[in-house]
Amino acid sequence: MLALVYFIILAVIAVGAALCVLLSKHPLYGALSLIVSMLSLAGIYGLLGSPFIGVVQVMVYAGAIMMLLTFVIMVLNSAKDGNTPRFDKVSLFVFPAVIALAGLLGFALVSVPFGFNAEAVRGSVAFTSSTLFNVEEGSRGYFILFEAIGVLLLSAMAAAILMAKRRIGYTASEKEEN
Amino acid sequence: MEFITNAVMEVVNSKTWIEWLITIAKFALCFVPVCYILLLIPMERRGAGFMQDRQGPNRSYIKIPYFGKIRALGYIQNMCDGTKLFFKELHTPTGANKIIYNLAPIIPFALTFLVPCVMPWFGTMTFTFGDSVVSIPGSIIDSDVGVLLLFGISSLSAYGAVLAGWASKSKFAYLGSLRTTAMTVSYEVCQGLCLMGLLLLVGSFNLTDIVNWQEHHVWGIVAQPVAFICFLIATIAETGRAPFDVAEGEPELVAGYHTEYGAMQFGFFYMGEYAHIGICSLLISTLFLGGYAVPFVTTETMQANMGITLTALCGVLAFLALAFLHMIYRYSRKLAASKQSNKAVILQEYKLYKLVAWVATLVFVAGAIASYMFVNPGSTIVNGAPVYGIGVALGTAVIHLLVLLAKSVIFCWVWIWVRWTLPRFRYDHVMHLGWKIILNIALLNLVVTAIIAKLVGGN
Repeated sequence: MLALVYFIILAVIAVGAALCVLLSKHPLYGALSLIVSMLSLAGIYGLLGSPFIGVVQVMVYAGAIMMLLTFVIMVLNSAKDGNTPRFDKVSLFVFPAVIALAGLLGFALVSVPFGFNAEAVRGSVAFTSSTLFNVEEGSRGYFILFEAIGVLLLSAMAAAILMAKRRIGYTASEKEEN
Repeated sequence: MEFITNAVMEVVNSKTWIEWLITIAKFALCFVPVCYILLLIPMERRGAGFMQDRQGPNRSYIKIPYFGKIRALGYIQNMCDGTKLFFKELHTPTGANKIIYNLAPIIPFALTFLVPCVMPWFGTMTFTFGDSVVSIPGSIIDSDVGVLLLFGISSLSAYGAVLAGWASKSKFAYLGSLRTTAMTVSYEVCQGLCLMGLLLLVGSFNLTDIVNWQEHHVWGIVAQPVAFICFLIATIAETGRAPFDVAEGEPELVAGYHTEYGAMQFGFFYMGEYAHIGICSLLISTLFLGGYAVPFVTTETMQANMGITLTALCGVLAFLALAFLHMIYRYSRKLAASKQSNKAVILQEYKLYKLVAWVATLVFVAGAIASYMFVNPGSTIVNGAPVYGIGVALGTAVIHLLVLLAKSVIFCWVWIWVRWTLPRFRYDHVMHLGWKIILNIALLNLVVTAIIAKLVGGN
């Protein structure tokens, strides 16, 4: 019962912060709202009985990725320091999509019976790891898939570094010519 | 209304009153990092003085009858400085973003109250109470993902510096906060990777499990010496202290991200930094120095010989009091021989310290004798292991806590020692060290640890 109260509080914060991301004028406010949204989402994960996912959400998304995003916003926006308009041509496409998605989610939520039991769902560290990496006979392990994604991400990173390097090399050679 | 009452009663009835009492009392441990601030600021200022062969700030005093001007080894000076910061005017520069500017200093300081919640302060307390056996974990939140939670929360504290720099509307603050973001992200990766080797050996994210493993095997520093050194460097960088304080390097950036701040808002940043040092020292001693575990003795032996353990504790405390007395007597002799003009005043002040230290020594010696003679608690056997009463459990918890604090204070001194010994690195050198050296060593360490663990046949 207490879990339901916590869930409602966290859900209101998460949805409110998500709306703020959409409606805020300055990109940094958007980023801050996104952090708040992610933190409350982590709380909901914990409430659903998977603290591992929740903590990873805080550490990776709220801690590292949003920090990088803030860095990028600060670097790019420092020259202008102006406000971006709330609506532009792109939002013509974005808003119908958001409304449609919200309607779809609302329909899905209403059509299934709403039972919230914090004890029922469990996703502890041991359970998560055995689901992911158990490669014994008869169990569903995602070991190969996991490794493949790792290699894919590594190659993507190498490509990004290569592209950045080439651009830096290009400007340097251009300067030499001048 | 009935719904809420039922929900509350359900929670209240889930534990006995003694469990509730100890569980609530454990929240007091949230204030340990704040106490570390009080300890660390005088320690840093006098420590810097010691390193640079000067006295350090120790001139302020409180006047009491007979003993005269009491300076409490420099502590009064810091109280005065704190009071000054507290009563200064809060100023917001023009053009600054008011809300975020005022919010930013609170973030790192507020998070110092959250982090200690997952720290194991003492071993799990198991004792008989009435007919039942009660077991209370040593941390406020005994979570399966303790280490990750700790890193997650402390990674958020960098937002204080970032937002402060952005909201100040100042170029220097802005550059400082940019540097903070880059450094936090890069050194957090190193920290996490250094830790992985140890986690591999222990096989758990739970901090209590990690300490238990160290208590019954070897300390982390012996099992993972390379990881320990890398982790220490990465953690010093993470706290943003010299030689890694490029975010607030005075020659280039005035004072970095808190250039525009004054009064208690600056004080919050300052206190947040010291609390962060305290937390990081506690973390390192938990992960690599056996945490609350007493060296060479397991908790079981300690509980079986509670009287002798208490005697040893009182003996150590009496020794410390005697060492303090030795120091004061040596100072007195030196001072009496010198030609200092105010030496009569200072010698009068030292009389108080001598009195206090002698009384403390006597009390500790008496305590040692009394506990050797009278403490001999009985136990009941539950599930093949002896379980003692609440007195022994509380005594064990206090000893564990003291051991943890002693270990972490040693690391606090390492922080001060490093700061006043090494010059500041250049920004690109810091990045080079993080990404190209420490990260690679940590990765290599992880691979080697995994291979050895597999060969030896651990988990």
